[in-house]
Amino acid sequence: MKALRSVTAGSLESSDVLVTITPLAEEKVEYVIDSIVIKQFGARIRKVTEEMANQAGVSAARIHVQDRGALECTLRARLETALDRSVAC
Amino acid sequence: MGETEFGLEERVLRTKAELAERAALLASRGLTVPTGEGLVLGLYQGERLVATGALVRNVLQGIAVDAGFEGEGAGATIVSSLIKTAIQRGIAQIFLFTTSDEAPRFEGLGFSRIVAVPGGAALLEWGAQGIAQYCASLRAAAEGRHGRTGVVVVNCNPFTAGHRALIEYAAAHSPWLYVFVVEEDLSLFPFEVRFKLIRDGTADLPNVTVIRGGPYIISSATFPTYFIRPDREEAAQKAVRMHAALDLVTFRGWIAPALRVARRFVGTEPYCDTTSVYNETMKMVLPEEDPAAMDKWGLESGVAPIEVIEIPRFEIDDEAVSASKVRELIREGNLPEVEKLVPRTTWEWLRSTEAAPVLDRIRHSDSRH
Repeated sequence: MKALRSVTAGSLESSDVLVTITPLAEEKVEYVIDSIVIKQFGARIRKVTEEMANQAGVSAARIHVQDRGALECTLRARLETALDRSVAC
Repeated sequence: MGETEFGLEERVLRTKAELAERAALLASRGLTVPTGEGLVLGLYQGERLVATGALVRNVLQGIAVDAGFEGEGAGATIVSSLIKTAIQRGIAQIFLFTTSDEAPRFEGLGFSRIVAVPGGAALLEWGAQGIAQYCASLRAAAEGRHGRTGVVVVNCNPFTAGHRALIEYAAAHSPWLYVFVVEEDLSLFPFEVRFKLIRDGTADLPNVTVIRGGPYIISSATFPTYFIRPDREEAAQKAVRMHAALDLVTFRGWIAPALRVARRFVGTEPYCDTTSVYNETMKMVLPEEDPAAMDKWGLESGVAPIEVIEIPRFEIDDEAVSASKVRELIREGNLPEVEKLVPRTTWEWLRSTEAAPVLDRIRHSDSRH
């Protein structure tokens, strides 16, 4: 499944996360993870992001996660919405 | 839109009264109302405007939060909404224009700094693909070529004998010459046509590479006022000088080192105010070697200077050849005169069927570009 359009979910407010998905021409998924707590939680954020993208079957997209200290449930909710929006027309 | 966040209501500002409130809020934070039309958002608490921000093309600007509402996340709310709008509009590269004093606030929200002139303006960008990656791709393309290269930046709307003379001179005085073509598609001749005419018209010069100007050379982000009708008023001239400086500091600090540029060539500008201000600023920013003066432009002391070589405009019958003259002749329907002012490659294209809609648009436009 390819990402069909550029979308965002979430926000840059404190305790939230902004997820941006952009379609790529090539068959690959690029992850860019920024976080204000990258040292403590960077690896976990990446794992959750990759896991959800794989589950959604995304195959050609750049997924940019800008975390502002969101709880994992928030991150999952934002990712789910963004992944859903990127393929729904 | 219209979502409530912490009791704040988001609105699109349209009316005169709303825009006056916005101007007052900007002024209270020492900011001026940005030039150019765009989407203006406001956050209200009841009937009081507490935060504002605008999206003009691909640039976020005019962002201000009421002093009493700082630290409440109102700025982050506005910026998030503007980013969402930009992405919905299919804008791939988002910039943010602010003062250098305010820049750290936006860096905290995940923006990266391109340039910041101390005490002056700053340009930041958002997203995963930034100027560092762009310069890495330039560096890779320049791999194996000689150093001390030359650069010409042109719009070529369309490519004339004057452009040809400038490029020929620059190529003869550089081991390698890069010709950047302004990519912003706001000219009467579309970018793809301008690019093709320059490539065809310089194909015989072995040491010239014609490249897309990209988002960092005279673009709507680095130099928005370039694409607006010139205005002789002092405030407008000041904006032009400020944008010109941002564009040129970006060139010297980022692009020139990637291509190992030693010289930039320009033609003298007899007609256009904006371009002549740009050229004057260029002569100040690019060759400066005094560390204190460089610091004033926001340039690190190690950045190599660039010699600016200004060449008198190419003339035919005592008249400078310019693209605006060519467009004027097209508008008047005087094609035989055009033939004298353009290289054969441009002339052939103008006579092709592909050119018809472009010529038609020129005849019915009074645009400067």
